[in-house]
Amino acid sequence: MILTTLILGLVLGSTYALLALGLTLQYGIARIMNLAYGELTLVGAFVLVAVFQQLGLSPLIAMILIAPAGYALGWFLYQGMMRPLVKRSGARGRLEVDSILATFGLLFLIQGILLMLFGANFTSISYLDRGVNVLGVSVALNRLIAFGICVVAGGALVLALAKTRWGLIMRAVALTPGSAPLVGIDVNKVARQGFALGTALAVVAGASIAMYQTFSATDGVVFTMKALVIVIMGGVGNVKGALVAGIALGLLETFVATAIDPGLTLAATFAIFLVVLLWRPQGLFGAR
Amino acid sequence: MLEVENLTVAYGKHIALDNASISVQAGQMVAILGANGAGKSSLLGAIGGRARPQSGVIRYNGQSLLDMPAHKLAEHGIALVPEGRGIFPGLSVEENLRLGAIPKRAREGATETLAEVFNLFPKLAERRGQIAGTMSGGEQQMVAIGRALMSNPEILLLDEPSLGLAPIVVKEVFSALTRIRAKGLTIVIVEQNARATLALADYVYLVEVGRITGSGPAEEIKSNPSVERAFLGGAVAPVNA
Repeated sequence: MILTTLILGLVLGSTYALLALGLTLQYGIARIMNLAYGELTLVGAFVLVAVFQQLGLSPLIAMILIAPAGYALGWFLYQGMMRPLVKRSGARGRLEVDSILATFGLLFLIQGILLMLFGANFTSISYLDRGVNVLGVSVALNRLIAFGICVVAGGALVLALAKTRWGLIMRAVALTPGSAPLVGIDVNKVARQGFALGTALAVVAGASIAMYQTFSATDGVVFTMKALVIVIMGGVGNVKGALVAGIALGLLETFVATAIDPGLTLAATFAIFLVVLLWRPQGLFGAR
Repeated sequence: MLEVENLTVAYGKHIALDNASISVQAGQMVAILGANGAGKSSLLGAIGGRARPQSGVIRYNGQSLLDMPAHKLAEHGIALVPEGRGIFPGLSVEENLRLGAIPKRAREGATETLAEVFNLFPKLAERRGQIAGTMSGGEQQMVAIGRALMSNPEILLLDEPSLGLAPIVVKEVFSALTRIRAKGLTIVIVEQNARATLALADYVYLVEVGRITGSGPAEEIKSNPSVERAFLGGAVAPVNA
């Protein structure tokens, strides 16, 4: 029972961690608080379902196509919609307000398009949903594959951020954008990359959710809120914090669903969120 | 190498720098001296791409710098150590230095340059893993200068490297500058600490309330009695005011 909760919680938590990584990249590097983040996640989910059902493409191959497509989508969104906001914002506070308003609009735009294309019904696919024995617990294979994708994508990103020159540039811009031009860093280019990469993570997380979970075109806000909760719990811009908080939230939700009541998962999430916001606004791992 | 002609920098209605012209030859160390708020930093900031001038021309090896975004300057061999140092306080000393070597011109010899910087500032080698923001002001200044050197610059722009530092640390910074200068790097330095700067510089510009009021070889300026009174006496505003 406990082992079941633990394993299922880890699987769910890995998806949440990936989801939160994308949001924290967008906010930390591009300084865009993206309220349409969950809708971008849904775009990934719906595209995966569509190519699986219409083209018969294996979700794993679809994933390889969805990730760069998400990067491109994010790139154009930043260039077309965010860049003008960044350009006219002198101080940082203005960009935050503007980006919240703009992405709030984007949320309904994407949601409308999704409703038009896919309708308001719950969507799911059946893909490799036979059980596999993990330490005596039966776990659906599709969940395990989604888990693998999240671990690989999230792990690769964390390594790249910590170890490569590219990662160092990303961290430098996230921490002290004002100093970046002094060492020849084009902050606009890096912000665009950060936003695009965040979008790629959003669609990959969405596509992996679609492999094992039912969802609908109006679920975006739930994903946004969960990602936001995790980001704040982990400390804004803190990649490792987002990973740990994401997995913790997955464990918590699974525990609440199995031990108390499935209907209470969202309530539990927000209870934790409130506690963190009130007592540790710098995040569980933040210093200050 | 560097020509500044009729440069005017204004912040709103306040004119920080009025019609200033300076010229820097390759291999020279040029000092810009003046009191707090005289417009020295605006002059250096405009050259380093941090302040947008109202009017004027800045040419570097014949190329106009005013059309160039700030992040391109490093690639052209211009390294600025701004007022307030402009380091990355959340990153380690070594990460700060490695960021200095991002421009393509700096990448090839980066390992050797890093060794040189550690040689120049042994303290940075000892503390390479320390988060830069937790260091003392003098050490942070060393990080900033070291990082600028990492970009393999042709010209080093220094904005008040001694500001807010204890006298013994100022000495350390200036002794490092002496060694940097001995390598033949072109340097433009803005300072309130006139005495130490005059001992190092080849050529000096004096700035008072936004205007260049005098210039000449450092030897001449040093022996000029009116300069003595205005810049070397007690009339200079206190450091770190």
